[in-house]
Formats: sequence, C-alpha cells, structure tokens
Amino acid sequence: MDRGNDRLSLTTDAGAADQDVGRGMRAHSATRVLVGPAAAWGLAVGVPLLFLGVFFAWPVVSLVARGFVTDGALDLGGFGEVLGRPRTWRLVGLTLGQATLGTALSVLLGLPLAYTLYRRSFPGRTLLRGLVTVPFVLPTVVVGVAFRTLFVHSGLLGAWGLEESLAGIVVALVFFNVSVVVRTVGGLWERLDPRAEQAAAALGASPWRVLRTVTLPSLGPAIASAASVVFLFCATAFGVVLVLGGVRFGTIETEIWVRTTQFLDLRSASVLSVLQLVVVTLALFVSGRARARREAALSLVSDVSAARPLRWTPADALVLLVSLAIVGGLMVLPLAGLVARSFRGPTGEWGLSNYVALGTTGERNALVVTVWEALGNSVRTALWATLIAVVVGGLVALVVSRRPRAHGARRAVALLDAAFMLPLGVSAVTVGFGFFVTLDRPLGIPFDLRTSGALVPIAQAVVAVPLVVRTVLPVLRAVDPRLREVAAVLGSAPGRVLRTVDVPLAARSLGLAVGFAFAVSLGEFGATSFLARPDAATLPVVIFRLIGRPGAENYGMALAASVVLAALTASVMMLAERLRGDRAGEEL
Amino acid sequence: MRDTAPREAERAEAGPGEAGRVVGEPARPGPAAAQVGPAVGDGAGLEVTSAVVRYGGRRGRAGTTAVDGVSLSVAPGEVVALLGPSGCGKSSLLRAVAGLEPLAGGRVVFGGDDLAGVPVHRRGFGLMFQDGQLFPHRDVSRNVAYGLEAAGVPRAERAARVAELLSDVGLDGYGPRAVATLSGGERQRVALARALAPRPRLLLLDEPLSALDRGLRERLAAELREVLVATRTTAVFVTHDHDEAFAVADRVAVMDRGRLLQVAPPAELWGAPASRRVAEFLGYQAFVPEGLAGTTGRPGADSAAADGPGEREPGGSGDRLVAVGPAGLRVLCGLDNPARATLPGLRWEAAVVATAFRRGRVEVTVDVDLGAGTERLVALSDVGPVAPGALVTPVGPRSGGGLPVTGDTVTVALDPAGCATVPAG
Repeated sequence: MDRGNDRLSLTTDAGAADQDVGRGMRAHSATRVLVGPAAAWGLAVGVPLLFLGVFFAWPVVSLVARGFVTDGALDLGGFGEVLGRPRTWRLVGLTLGQATLGTALSVLLGLPLAYTLYRRSFPGRTLLRGLVTVPFVLPTVVVGVAFRTLFVHSGLLGAWGLEESLAGIVVALVFFNVSVVVRTVGGLWERLDPRAEQAAAALGASPWRVLRTVTLPSLGPAIASAASVVFLFCATAFGVVLVLGGVRFGTIETEIWVRTTQFLDLRSASVLSVLQLVVVTLALFVSGRARARREAALSLVSDVSAARPLRWTPADALVLLVSLAIVGGLMVLPLAGLVARSFRGPTGEWGLSNYVALGTTGERNALVVTVWEALGNSVRTALWATLIAVVVGGLVALVVSRRPRAHGARRAVALLDAAFMLPLGVSAVTVGFGFFVTLDRPLGIPFDLRTSGALVPIAQAVVAVPLVVRTVLPVLRAVDPRLREVAAVLGSAPGRVLRTVDVPLAARSLGLAVGFAFAVSLGEFGATSFLARPDAATLPVVIFRLIGRPGAENYGMALAASVVLAALTASVMMLAERLRGDRAGEEL
Repeated sequence: MRDTAPREAERAEAGPGEAGRVVGEPARPGPAAAQVGPAVGDGAGLEVTSAVVRYGGRRGRAGTTAVDGVSLSVAPGEVVALLGPSGCGKSSLLRAVAGLEPLAGGRVVFGGDDLAGVPVHRRGFGLMFQDGQLFPHRDVSRNVAYGLEAAGVPRAERAARVAELLSDVGLDGYGPRAVATLSGGERQRVALARALAPRPRLLLLDEPLSALDRGLRERLAAELREVLVATRTTAVFVTHDHDEAFAVADRVAVMDRGRLLQVAPPAELWGAPASRRVAEFLGYQAFVPEGLAGTTGRPGADSAAADGPGEREPGGSGDRLVAVGPAGLRVLCGLDNPARATLPGLRWEAAVVATAFRRGRVEVTVDVDLGAGTERLVALSDVGPVAPGALVTPVGPRSGGGLPVTGDTVTVALDPAGCATVPAG
C-alpha cells in the first residue's frame, strides 16, 4: 500500500516513541483479565443475595412455615382456627377497606396537586414541592401522634369525633401517601410532551375533553403505578394505625404485633403473616405490571419540563385553591398543631417544659433511657442501616442496570430486580417477627443475634434497600451503554469503567439514596419495635411507649420528641432532595 | 458511457476536489488492492476474515445474522468506509472489530495478531459514535485525556497531548468548557480528539457525522479527512451517506444485508459499480438494458447504439445494464442546444412533471420510458437559471430563461459522463 508506507516514513520520532509506550502498557495477558470481571460480578450478585437470603427470605419463610407446621408435621389446624374467628375477617375487611379508601382519596387529592406543582410554575413552587415531600418520610409514629393531637377531645378537630375512627386512620394514610401520588404522577406529567394536548386542542377539543381523552390516558400508567404502591403502603400501615386505631380499629399488621407481643400467640401471628403476604403479593404484582408500563411510557416523553407559568384563568385559580386547601388542611394543619401543642406543658401553659423533659426518662420512669439517649441510638442505628442499605442496594442497582447478552442471564437479572422489591411490600412487622423467631441461631451458628443489637440496623436496612435500588437504578439505566463502550475502547478495564463512568454519573442519586435510607431508618418502627432492647430503644419506639403511658407529662414528652424526630427526618430529606437536582420522583 | 477508463481519469481530476479532499490521488491505493476479500497478507493493518455476527441466538436458534461472512483488509494508514443502508450490518462489523460484539465465526486480525480473546480495552483502538458520547461529568480536556489516563501517561505529557489534539480539531482553548455547552459539531470534534489522543492503532468511526446538519456535515467530513491524514491514522468509517464516504475514505466497502458487495476507491466504485444493487445504493436512478436501449427510443438512434457493447471492459460480455446516474440524464431544449450535438446515443421524449432549482442546477423531474416502462426520473437541464444580468435584459422569447414547465414534452438523452454499466441481474 503506497500511502501506508508513505505515512510510516513520515511518522515523527516523538510520535512513534509515544505510541510504543502506550502500547506496551496495554499488553497484558488476556485470560487474567477475563477471570477478574467474572469474579467481581459474582461478588456483586452474591453479597446482596446472601443478605436477602439470611435477613429476609429465611426469617419470612420460617415464619410462614411456622403457621403450617406443628411438631414437624404439616398442620393446617392453625389456619382453620385463625380463619374461623370473626375477628380475623373483621380485620381483613378493615385492612382492605382502609387501604382502598386511602388509595382512592390519595389519588383524588394527588392529581390536582401534581398538576399545580409540576405543570404550573409560580413563586414558592419549590417550597410547596418540598412541603409535599416531607410527609412521605415522616416517621409513622410521628404522624400518628400529630393526628391524634388534632382528633382528641381537647384537640383542634375534637368536635368532629375522629378519635379512634376509621375516618381518622384514612385521613392520616392520605396525609402520607398523597406525596407518593404527587411525585410519581407529577414526574411524568411534567415531562409529558404538551404538543399532543396542543394538537387535540387545535382539532377542536375543549380543555375538559383534552384532559379526559389525551392527558389522563397518557398519565394512566403512572396513576396505576402510584395507586398500587399507595395501596401497598396503606395495607401494611402499622405505626399510624396502632396510634390512631385504639382498640377498635386495626389491620392484619397490627394484629400480628398484638398477637406476638401481648398474647405470645406465635401460631396465630404466623397464620396472619401468611394472610398478609397474600394481600401484599397481589398488590406487588399489580404494581410491578403498572411500573413496567410506566417505564415504557416514560421513553415517550421529552427531557424538558413542560411547566408553564400559572395564569389567572378560572380553571387554574380553582386548581390552585384546591391545592392550597389540600396542603394547608391536610399537611400544614396537623404538623403545625403538633408543633404548637408540643410547646404547651402538662397544665396547658406555654413553654419549653416538654423539651426540657426530654433529658429525663419520663414520669414514673416510663422509659429505660432518656429521649436524648434514644435519639443517639436512632442516629447510630440509622447510620449503620444506611451503610448496609447503600452497599447492598447499590450493588443490586448496578447488577440490575446491566443488560447481559445471554438470554438466561437477562432473565436472572430481571428476577433479581423483582426479588429485591419484595421487602418493599412485605410488612416490616413480618420481617421483625421473622428475625425474632429465627435469628437466635443464625445459619445454625450458636450466636444469638437478637441480643447483640446488630439486628435493628439490619432490619432497617432490609426495609431501606428497595428505596435505594429504586433511586439509583433509573440513573444507572439511563447511562448510555455506548459511554461505557467508549471508555473500554479507550483502554479502561471494566473496573476502571465502573470507577470513571458509572460511579460519577450515579453519584448524585447515590447521595439521594443515602438521604432516603437514613430518613427511612430513622423513622422505622414496625421491625424496630420487635427488636430493639429497652436500653437501646430508638426514638420512634420511645415515642410510642410514651403515648402508651398515663400522665400528661409523658404525653407532652412524646409530642416534643415527635417534633425533634420530624425535624431531623425532614432536614435530612430536604438536604438529600437538593442532591437530586431537577429529576422527578421516579423511585417508586 | 462506453469507455470506463477515460471517464474515471476525468473524475479523478475533477471529483475529489469538490468533496474537499486534502490529499491527492497518489495517496490512494491502486486498483490491485481494491479487490473484495483478503488482500496481500503482509501482517500489518486490519484483516477481517469471514466474519459472522449474530444477534439474539439462544440454545439452538440461530437468531438474526447481522454480518454474514465478511472479509476485509485495511492497510496501515488507510481509511476505509463501510457504506450501506441502515441495518445492513456495517455497525455490527465495526463493533465486532472493536471487540464489543462477539464473532460467531471468522477472525479479526490486527498487525498479525488474532484478536480473539483480547478484551476491548486491550485492543488499542479508538471509537467514535454518531452522537459523540462524551462523558457528561468531565470537561472537554478531561474527556480528551480519558484514554491517556487509562494508559497511565504522566500528567504533563497528558496536558501537552490534549492541547495538541484540541488544536488539531480546531478547538484551541476549549479545554475547561463543560461538554453540555458545546454545539453538535464541537462535540464531534471533541469526540474525535478523545479517540485520537491515545494514538489508536485503528480508529473506528460509527456514523460520526450523521447527527449533524448538512452544511456542517460536509465541512466536518473534509476536516475529518484532513485530521486522519495528518495523524496517519488507520481508520474504518461507517456511514450510510455515499457523499460522506467518498469525501473521507481511500476505499469504500459497500455492504448490504450482512454481505460485502464491493470494495473500491471512490472513483472506481462510482465509475464501475459491481452490481445493480451497488449502483442503486450509490444513487443511480434508472437501469436500461443495453440491448433494449438499442431497439427502442427514437428512430435514428440505432446507429449510435451500434458501437455499444463491444467496447466494454473485458469480461463484460453478456447482458449488461446502463445505470443512469443522478447527472446521467440531460434535457435537450431547443435545436441550438450545444448538448444536442455533443451527446451521443439515444433520444427519448419525456413529459415534464416538475422543475426545481437545486444546488445551482436546474433539475427537471420527468416521466419517461427508457425501455423498462415509464419511470419518474430527474434530468438536468443545460439551460441554467436566469442569471442576475439576464433579469435586467431578458434574452430570447421564452420568459423562463428557457426552463421547461410542467406539462411540456422535452427530449432527453443520456450523458455518458453520468452513467455507468453494471452486470444485469
């Protein structure tokens, strides 16, 4: 080839020398390189699987088995007995009823809010969005206490008779879950290409018709996805129901707790756990289907926000008013009520006495530790739980974000994805209870994990892992595989590709995941209430204990402690939200 | 249209210049190297032998075959374009060479070493995608430095090399810019600099200009050629645009449905497409059976057709087709038209469908039967558009400057300079 030779003779000396150096550095044996990644991927899959197996599957399966097996033989007697009780069916009905009502109301109230906060821009929108996000991460116990403060006879809404009522529980559930609807639906709505609506309007459709025939159908998958997740959360609600339901109202979840801790009736609790699993599996199945459809729909939307400034048309004004009413009545009122009430002492005088009392163990020594000590426990446990959840969840997200070439491997990845969503649905009480009955001899090792104190962060991590996966995974999935290919072609070994491409790109979402995991761990109550020893009680456990004890002073302390916990969780979440940038809430 | 050799020589003079070529013809490999299949195996450069790439195959099922037994060689310093319609397997072949797709059959050899089992990052190649794929979390200079960092080049040397490369691609001083602030063309320049920085043994370009708009694409194609030549880079360039392929490559390999149809230098490819399929893809708009062309058409044309087939290149016996290129059909207006005298061969009557002024020429869309049924073709009119001067002082009785209008019947003729012959079938 004449030109090739020509070029070779023209190559400058410096260039040629450089080239040789570069080449030499890459000349390694190929086989060693191929073994490394395989081992690394094995580890990345193995660690989370081992974690999920030992700390989730095993306890839950053992618990389920306990309902079926007596003295080594299959025995369905427990089922007959538990299912024969009218109380069981009343609780199943209540569980489904409050979940259905809570879901319907959350969607109904969430849609106008999503429109206002994601399709319209106006001064103060960021603040309002932040405000709507807060309830989602507030500890359930805190929310229970806040609404109880409103509903009691002396409370602001005392006259409405909501104390220990189904309506009261539903309102509190809606408070929590409206934010799920707003974030999930709003995220899609904001990015929905407005040109489809404009085309419909140009074809003569009225605004109402556009909404009905174009907008809502486009949002359908997101609404379905949000609704199924909300149903799941409502059906497994624990802290709120326990605090607000009193003796008359409960769910399967609270009944498991009552059976175990008050009656030591483990067999009934096991049977109820199985029942709970059935409900949850159904809801998860529906949610998974809806999520898949939403991810398909998401590919159709633009990357640009379609929000327009708020205009003073009657329709916009109405939606804004409704939104403000929802935020004011449903969110600000209970929280403001809680804060205000926390500054009133046992005799009704204003002051800091409740906060001062946080340094004590309560009236008549209701607690083993002071509230401040409990706060320390909470933060310590939550830090450990966050570390575990981010490592495990990060690995899962990494593995699941890859699309392997082989068909079998692709299926395995999809299966792994689904497996790590299970803890989202399986009730925390079931997990805690499962730990309680199995981990006295983990993997046959005679070392009682239950007394070591390590179980609390582990249980909280199990609950937080799905959130971490859902936060990091979309970001990793959005990384164009060709970016990694470019990096590899430029001489980066797989490990370096991970370090220089994936990690920097996912860093922000990882930060958000840390915030999420920390906030959720701080407020975790279901599993923690089973596992925390009295001398290592966390803040939610302490709050619940305080409101269960007689004495106005204890109640006042519970209020102050709730404010402290809420402030801490909300600050962590607000900080984490800043890391998110303008990405919409797609983690659910 | 008879004599290929003189026409090719003529194109070689005129053609490359308009495509912005930097190096002259001497740099082109001779026709001997332009054969399909493995060339002289001197151990240097890229040798692809019977490569097969399949997708979606699993347990027993074959899946789809994207690349079906392609052999291709690229000499050191040579730029070869893989040209073909989308889905023809050209990108898959490129990815297989890079090591991003496994080969289901065949071999990829570089510099005498079989690359089977050599992972992507140890091949020492460069890769550039259609949309650049710059690292969004790195600024321009850190993007360019990426490959150098991977190779462990010391910092000072790295900085010098980055500055040199940015200067090569015309982006002096762009180092600290965030990639999000760059235009499409700038992004591709950065991507090119990044790919070239570690001095790849082979640069693979996957439709690097396709996402850009036309003017920029043409300018960048010329610049790309300039940079590749200046850096003496061996390169394989995938594109679906033949103008782009001709502008950038020393040789063009035409692919269709996973197979390689022809490999040749641009002028040779254009002048002598190996098959009707190749000619179609290059933009030849009609095919007239040579024998049929002689019997139909206007009376008196027979004599012109008589000296036809005999002069064809050796081996061209049997049925051949005249391929009518985008500039292969001329409208003859008025008896005084000079083309009427100079163009040999057949004349046809054609109905004018539309007239358009495009890129400085008048293109007349006509319905015409060249012997294979009525087809809608584009013919060039020699009568140019009205020149600025002519607007002031109209010449002749026809106000359109002699432009045919819809409904006119015009006479068209083949322009041998715009036609080629291909084997039939």
